[in-house]
Amino acid sequence: MSAARYVVGIDLGTTNCAIASIDLAAESAPIELDTISQLVNPGEVAEGTLLPSFLYLPDAKDFPPGSTRLPWQEAPDAVVGELARRRGAERPGRLVASAKSWLCHSGVDRTGPILPWGSGEDTPRVSPLDASARYLEHLARAWEHRHGGQVRLSEQDVLVTVPASFDEAARELTLRAAAEAGLPAVRLLEEPQAAFYAWLDHLGDRWRDRVRIGDLVLVCDVGGGTTDFSLIAVSEVEGALALTRVAVGDHILLGGDNMDLALARLAQQRLEKAGHRVDPMQLQALWLQCRAAKEHLFEDPALDLQPVTLLGRGSKLVGGTITGDVLREDLERVIVEGFFPRVPADAEPARQRRVGLQELGLPYAADPAVTKQLARFLMRQAADAPGLEAIRRGKGGLAAPTHVLFNGGVMKAPALRARVLDTLNDWLTDQGCPVIAEDGVLEAPDLDRAVARGAAAYGRARLRDGVRIRGGSPRTYYIGIESAMPAVPGLDAPLKALCVVPFGMEEGTETIIPAREFGLVVGEPAEFRFLSSTVRKQDAPGALIEDWGDDLEEQEPLAVTLEGQGTAAEQVVPVRLEAKVTEVGTLELWCVSRNGSQRWKLELNIRERDR
Amino acid sequence: MGFGARVSFAFRSFFALLFSGSMPDDILESLRPASVPPPPAAPPTDEGDRAVQLLAILQRDGRLIDFFQEDIAPYDDAQVGAAARDVQTHCRAALARYLSFEPIVPEAEGDRVGVDAANDPARIKLIGAVSTGSAQQGVVQHRGWQVTRLALPPLPRENDRRIVAPAEIEVA
Repeated sequence: MSAARYVVGIDLGTTNCAIASIDLAAESAPIELDTISQLVNPGEVAEGTLLPSFLYLPDAKDFPPGSTRLPWQEAPDAVVGELARRRGAERPGRLVASAKSWLCHSGVDRTGPILPWGSGEDTPRVSPLDASARYLEHLARAWEHRHGGQVRLSEQDVLVTVPASFDEAARELTLRAAAEAGLPAVRLLEEPQAAFYAWLDHLGDRWRDRVRIGDLVLVCDVGGGTTDFSLIAVSEVEGALALTRVAVGDHILLGGDNMDLALARLAQQRLEKAGHRVDPMQLQALWLQCRAAKEHLFEDPALDLQPVTLLGRGSKLVGGTITGDVLREDLERVIVEGFFPRVPADAEPARQRRVGLQELGLPYAADPAVTKQLARFLMRQAADAPGLEAIRRGKGGLAAPTHVLFNGGVMKAPALRARVLDTLNDWLTDQGCPVIAEDGVLEAPDLDRAVARGAAAYGRARLRDGVRIRGGSPRTYYIGIESAMPAVPGLDAPLKALCVVPFGMEEGTETIIPAREFGLVVGEPAEFRFLSSTVRKQDAPGALIEDWGDDLEEQEPLAVTLEGQGTAAEQVVPVRLEAKVTEVGTLELWCVSRNGSQRWKLELNIRERDR
Repeated sequence: MGFGARVSFAFRSFFALLFSGSMPDDILESLRPASVPPPPAAPPTDEGDRAVQLLAILQRDGRLIDFFQEDIAPYDDAQVGAAARDVQTHCRAALARYLSFEPIVPEAEGDRVGVDAANDPARIKLIGAVSTGSAQQGVVQHRGWQVTRLALPPLPRENDRRIVAPAEIEVA
């Protein structure tokens, strides 16, 4: 790693990817956003600052021969980026989209060929893992192409960002995708942290003037497909300001795409009421136009409306044209009130419907209100973690931020930033805390690409002893232990949870779970139930808890098979558990024999799980 | 050729000539003067190909040919205007991607400018009471346009170069 010439930050987004790099050979080189060569039309390669996260699986008749050639590949069997997005709109059955959301969806087989979701029998399919690997591979080749083809990305110090809310399995799968793309040694970084690093980099040393000891920064990241919250506390370590990521939110599949689609549906209804028919292709066009209209209206408060136009298909372009308007009040009603309602701090988002026959597919947030999700996040940080008493709290237990850092394309809109801030200030007032003033909003430029920039900045900070955010494990992890109670027919034995990894356990450290041994049978697979929590931060390794309400979430099980040394079957080996948070940001659990001479790694069993 | 290879070739040639009277094939092959391979025959470019390509781009991104080919007489101005606005937005974006335009004269419309006698009429057209063969003064009516960047994508396959837009057939 020390030989790396560049640090490279990759934002592997739900709808767009970006890549940024820093040339370490130059003393104070700026962060470069690298353009990404991609097909934009058949036979036409162009550079873009973003790579749309779409994968199109063409058949022989999709594109003229030779017209999908890339500068680094003669005849790719799939198309990534802008052309994939365009052609996919015309033939959705062969388009893979939102692969990242599938990657963190434990209800499906994430390493199995399941995408495009719901496509026909004769369609080639890929797994969410493969699709992510394809994006990373394209980014790698494009980056190498841009750097003259002389340097390999695999030889650089590469950081890939993931949502803070990604669970262990999704992190593991992201690493596996990177390895599949020929990048075996990447590190992971949480996106809200990356956004914070982008802000740090933007301010240079002046950041110390903006925050003080005891401050609490809320990172509010609303991207195209996901909403992600984190809290970063400012404290003092050895006389210097130190930053610690003290909380991460749950995974919320809710973002700008949902908002644009809501506007497009409204426009569609209105057009259909006026007697026009809007077919699926036109709805796609409407979707894009509504997004543009939304951005215009948010940018220019003087505008009252933006026209949307659907040209007639076929030769009746003028004759078939239908028009409508997106009004400012639509924006207020659908986006501002619909997605950012001014709710009280105790507003609970509607919970996921758990009906017997739940339609499979992505588990979109059941409640589209970002502000409700935020209220829930801040309220659920009530439980104190040891050493984090510094978190400012309202009298009702609300974690009370002193600063906000916005990130993600959606938060570019001043009206939405203002609405989040107003709502937050309502809560702070109710809770008896001072409100966040204007200078409490930490402004970072280029919200679409801040994450890639920030990842590169973090990479440099790591190498050069710059300011770093202490994070550690974003969740508390538990092993499920079935209680020794008489079985009741039809009921599962009550489950207890043994804490194995405490919240915030730092990268590169290990811990032995005290006072508990398990007997494992040699040669037989042993499976452990595995649980996690983003809210219980006080549990120490070895703590045994029960009655956790909905604070704990079950993960993929862990499995291990002890290979015997030729001894008789049925041998039982007593083992202790050992947990380790690796340098790259993943978790390892080991079974260690009593005398410590033998170790077996527990593997996450990432496969379809019954819900 | 690296030093090691040169030494190796020199010795091998010496002994090969001495004992067998012939040069090893691989040495002959590698020392043969590099003949410049003829450039691959570029498909003949008809002058019209680029014109059709530009039309195809404007059709693809902005539906310009559909717009020109339609009889717009039956529709009212609002209808035509709505469509034209969309066509204009997209054609403009398409042009901006592949071409850059700049005015030929830097002055604004309505400014008085001097034109010297050596003026190139292709660049500046004099109109009105023009006197012959001397420098003169005039008012800018139109600043002119010139293309300063032209970066069209590669031409499609030879057989496809008269296609402005493919037919579209939706399979239900």
